[in-house]
Amino acid sequence: MALPQSLRTSVTPLELELIASEQLVEIVPLITMEKTAFISGAYGPLRPPAKCRIPLWMATNLKLKKKCHIVPPEWLSVDFLQERLTRETSRPEFSKLPFRFAEIAKVILDVASDDVQNADKIKSLLKDLREARQAKSRDGLQKLDHSELSLPNLCSMEINEIRPFFIQSMGILTQLVREPSAE
Amino acid sequence: MASTSKAISNSAHQQGQTCIAFSRDGKIAYTGGLDTLVRIWHTDQGEDQEPEAAYEADEGITAVAAAEGCWLSGGHDSDVRKYIPGKAQFNGLVMSAAGASIRCLAVDPSGKRVAVASDELSVKIVDLDEITNVVVLEGGHRKRIRKTTWHPSGTILTTSSSDGTIVAWNISDTGAKVENVIDGVIPEVVDPESPEFMHDCSAVWHPSGQYFFAASRTHEIVAISRSTWTKTSSLSDPNTVGVTTALALSANGVYLASACNQEILVWSVQTKRVLWKHPGTPNAFTIQIAFSPTENLLAWTDTEGVLSRWRDAIPAESPDPVRQTAASSAQGTTTKRKPTPPLWGEEPEADAEGGDPYGDDWIIDDLGDGMKDEPEGAKEMRSGDGFVKEMVSITKAQPAFQPGSTPMENKKRYLAYNMVGVIEVTDQDTHHIVNVEFHDRSTRKGYHFTDHFKYDLGSLGERGALFACPPELDHPAQIIYKPYGTWSTQGDWTYALPKGQRVLGIAAGGERPMRSLRDPSSSGGDIQGQGNIVIATSSGDLTFLSGSGMERIVLGVEGEYVTMASAEEYVLVVHRPGATTIDGSQSLVATLISFEDFQVLQEKPLPIPKGHTLRWIGTTDEGAPAIYDSAGYIHLMIHHRRPNRAAWVRLMDTNLLERKQGKDESYWPVGLSQDTFMCLILKGRQEYPGFPRPLIQELPVRLPFRNQDPVDSPIEERIARERIHVNLARDALGDELTSPDIDKREVELDKQLIKLIQVACKTDKAPRVIELVKRLHFPNSIAAASQLAGFYRLIGLQEKIEAIKLWREQNATPAEEAREARQGFAYDDAPLARPKPFQNFNPPPKVDRPGLTRSAGIVEQTEFTASSVAIRAGRSLAPQASASRSTSPEGKRKRDDNDDDLSSNTFDVEVKRRAVGESDAAVPSPKPSTCIAIQPGRAYILIIYCRQPIFSEDWARSQEKSFCKKTRAQQTYPEERELF
Repeated sequence: MALPQSLRTSVTPLELELIASEQLVEIVPLITMEKTAFISGAYGPLRPPAKCRIPLWMATNLKLKKKCHIVPPEWLSVDFLQERLTRETSRPEFSKLPFRFAEIAKVILDVASDDVQNADKIKSLLKDLREARQAKSRDGLQKLDHSELSLPNLCSMEINEIRPFFIQSMGILTQLVREPSAE
Repeated sequence: MASTSKAISNSAHQQGQTCIAFSRDGKIAYTGGLDTLVRIWHTDQGEDQEPEAAYEADEGITAVAAAEGCWLSGGHDSDVRKYIPGKAQFNGLVMSAAGASIRCLAVDPSGKRVAVASDELSVKIVDLDEITNVVVLEGGHRKRIRKTTWHPSGTILTTSSSDGTIVAWNISDTGAKVENVIDGVIPEVVDPESPEFMHDCSAVWHPSGQYFFAASRTHEIVAISRSTWTKTSSLSDPNTVGVTTALALSANGVYLASACNQEILVWSVQTKRVLWKHPGTPNAFTIQIAFSPTENLLAWTDTEGVLSRWRDAIPAESPDPVRQTAASSAQGTTTKRKPTPPLWGEEPEADAEGGDPYGDDWIIDDLGDGMKDEPEGAKEMRSGDGFVKEMVSITKAQPAFQPGSTPMENKKRYLAYNMVGVIEVTDQDTHHIVNVEFHDRSTRKGYHFTDHFKYDLGSLGERGALFACPPELDHPAQIIYKPYGTWSTQGDWTYALPKGQRVLGIAAGGERPMRSLRDPSSSGGDIQGQGNIVIATSSGDLTFLSGSGMERIVLGVEGEYVTMASAEEYVLVVHRPGATTIDGSQSLVATLISFEDFQVLQEKPLPIPKGHTLRWIGTTDEGAPAIYDSAGYIHLMIHHRRPNRAAWVRLMDTNLLERKQGKDESYWPVGLSQDTFMCLILKGRQEYPGFPRPLIQELPVRLPFRNQDPVDSPIEERIARERIHVNLARDALGDELTSPDIDKREVELDKQLIKLIQVACKTDKAPRVIELVKRLHFPNSIAAASQLAGFYRLIGLQEKIEAIKLWREQNATPAEEAREARQGFAYDDAPLARPKPFQNFNPPPKVDRPGLTRSAGIVEQTEFTASSVAIRAGRSLAPQASASRSTSPEGKRKRDDNDDDLSSNTFDVEVKRRAVGESDAAVPSPKPSTCIAIQPGRAYILIIYCRQPIFSEDWARSQEKSFCKKTRAQQTYPEERELF
């Protein structure tokens, strides 16, 4: 959202991407590897052609070395996104999507667009989804009052977007509401 | 295969759609093309004739037909014209289709009516004598009609539509109605401009009228029964793969001609095999084929506009394509009745339709078989290829196949697709490009090469890739083995079969590499060998070769080879010992043959349901054989390592899969691991995976248990499945009891069992609890179960569990029991291994009589008794030898010798010399206490310190034996003898 620089003090999308890198994705490995312990847990063993669930950061790393194919998650398909987009545009509430879908989709499309069918179509669908949801979150902000803002199914990237504005305005609203009761 | 006679070709029309029809007397062929002309060819004239042409049409001709007293043409200008027979003389319009292209003309068997199929959704049947007499068949089609044909009786008209349906119309005097709609046989082609639209999709009726042939969307030629309107059989040739573009039957129905891949194939309708082939025009496909109704002549036209006429297509020694022979009439040429049909006998309704089954025809047929005076053609047919066999077996025998291979489609195919990798082949007309790719790129490196032999069989083993090619003009059938791990092609070798033999199947096996085969170190790859190779040849044998190309053994196959797959230590061969059964069983048998010593480890019939075929065989991760059949079942052979104790477990029923519900999909297996079934998912009616290579899907393996309890059933299923695998793993261990891995799995099993016990305790099912407790593996688990029972206040049950625990602690563990059971099997099997009476040439077993052993004599070791030199020598040595033996038998030996030499006193030297000089004489026994000196050539002096009676002969023999042993030992180890 176009906000002045002063209001953009929030977690950057890159940092969110880093956080999302812990999510597990399925891969088809092209190399053999024993079960290996990492700080976040033990993953493997990799036994091609069996699929394996590993964190996104590891999948990215292997993919860049051409040592695996990433199996795109179920929701990263034209059919699913199309259906969600029509729901998004036809209904007032946010449709249900994985919490970190934007980050994961971006990483997968960046590094493994050859593993995703119809990557271009998916990219444009994701963009449409984002715009539709952004419009809704803007509308939602109007309902902001001093105590709560209920926007179910809002995803991490979108929360992050409205976070600076929302915190500050909520602070101000709280002050405004509290003054009279104090007197 | 290719016929010797050559076809005459004439360029007749411009490129594009063409059509052909013979006149009813067979003397004239009419051809039409896009150049709006119909040319009239005299079949008795050669290549140089100048054909007459009919110029009336305004647009391209799409159909010609010959009727009684005229011939007809129709085309894109939507008019059907009538001409004087044999001449290009226009004789009037028959009908006009109001702007829609005419697609097909079909004249009924009497030659009086013509059925006109056009782009309209109706078919019009026009009476040629009175063209205002038109019957319109409406309401059967939703898309344009491509072809139409008549039943030989003239009462049924079949129309093939572009939406992939065939409609059978019942035509009677009163009108026409739809009798049946057959969907899903012919391909759906919507675009009339596409080349596929020109392919022949017509239902070609057999003259008997009992069935028709059509080119199916799965690239087979299928026969569809008239009585049931369902597919009864199909014709496919493993060597010709591709879409059939034209079909025709000979006048008497003995031969079927089809066009496929720029080739004309002539099939025998009876044996369903290709008899002869003829090459077509290059880069063109044949659109229409026609058999001459009166001569041995086959003619066809293609997209290049060329008319080809193949005179004597059927060689003279084979039955005539026109004349009604007994063999052809045995299939029935009359439409009134069905004689006892040899091939189509499974149609009981057909007989009913024919009226009295015991009519005079039946007698005639019986005579024909009983008396030997049948016409010559029939005799040849009977002695010919497979005729007698087909008389008996109605079930079509499954042909040999290679697991994981697909037919050539769009110039691409898979030769092998398994858990190791994929072999893809791309056809480049003159050669093939073979691309070998591995799932695990760290172990093996993928490669590709140009293949001029056109390999049609491939097998990817753990140690190398194996290819086989069919024999061609200049080279025999041969195989090539390309071991992995070598960077150059130096390791490759070929093995050629003698002329006339073919390779039916190949399998490459070998141990799974422990480390990467790309690793150049000595322990990396090839030290474990290059695997084992098995070839099945058309001469009915299995040839075993080593990985380096050494021939090891040739085994005979007891029947017909079907397929094989290789595991680490054995090859799984599937063959058909006899014929298929009449009720639809393929009667296949699987044999496990060890690579090590060619032992048959198991021989078991395959559990394939009747009417279904084997689709895939392979091995699981653990090396157990598994099969998949067309009914959708996966079976796993358990206990395959125990001779004669294997069983097929139904591991999975893919029809019960959740994802399959409500979907039309099938599975193409790639591999099987413990909990997952690796496969490619095929949508709809697809039979083989296509290109680009689809991702391998993993489906969870579920035993087809029928209980539907939401809590218990999944756990029970998991326990049963895990037990199968634990038992397989334990079998692989041999005599060892367990491994850490198995222990871990058993702990997991116990956890699951405890869950079940808890459920059973909750619902107060005491017998069940006890049964489950007995299945637990570890005492700790039993203790846990006892606590559970206590928790649910089932005191009586708890006591019983404690008793089980106590009993378990006192007795052998289940693992030990399993081992004992296994050893018991060996004992049970021992009589099988024992030679038959009177054929045993082994020495008799040694009888051990403890009561008759030599007693240890009393040795008096005083210097006074040491009178004999031998005894003296022995005595001097005895303490030394025993001392050295007790400390360190080998290491000290040398030093003792040295010491002995150094400290040798005079008589020792003397003895040594004696021993050498007299060789065998005066050899002391190693136990000097026995006090025997045996001297050859003299009577034995036996000094016996024994009070028991002795069976002296026996004893003497044993002495003699031990003596001989000793002397032999001395001969082999002379330095040891020096000791004495």
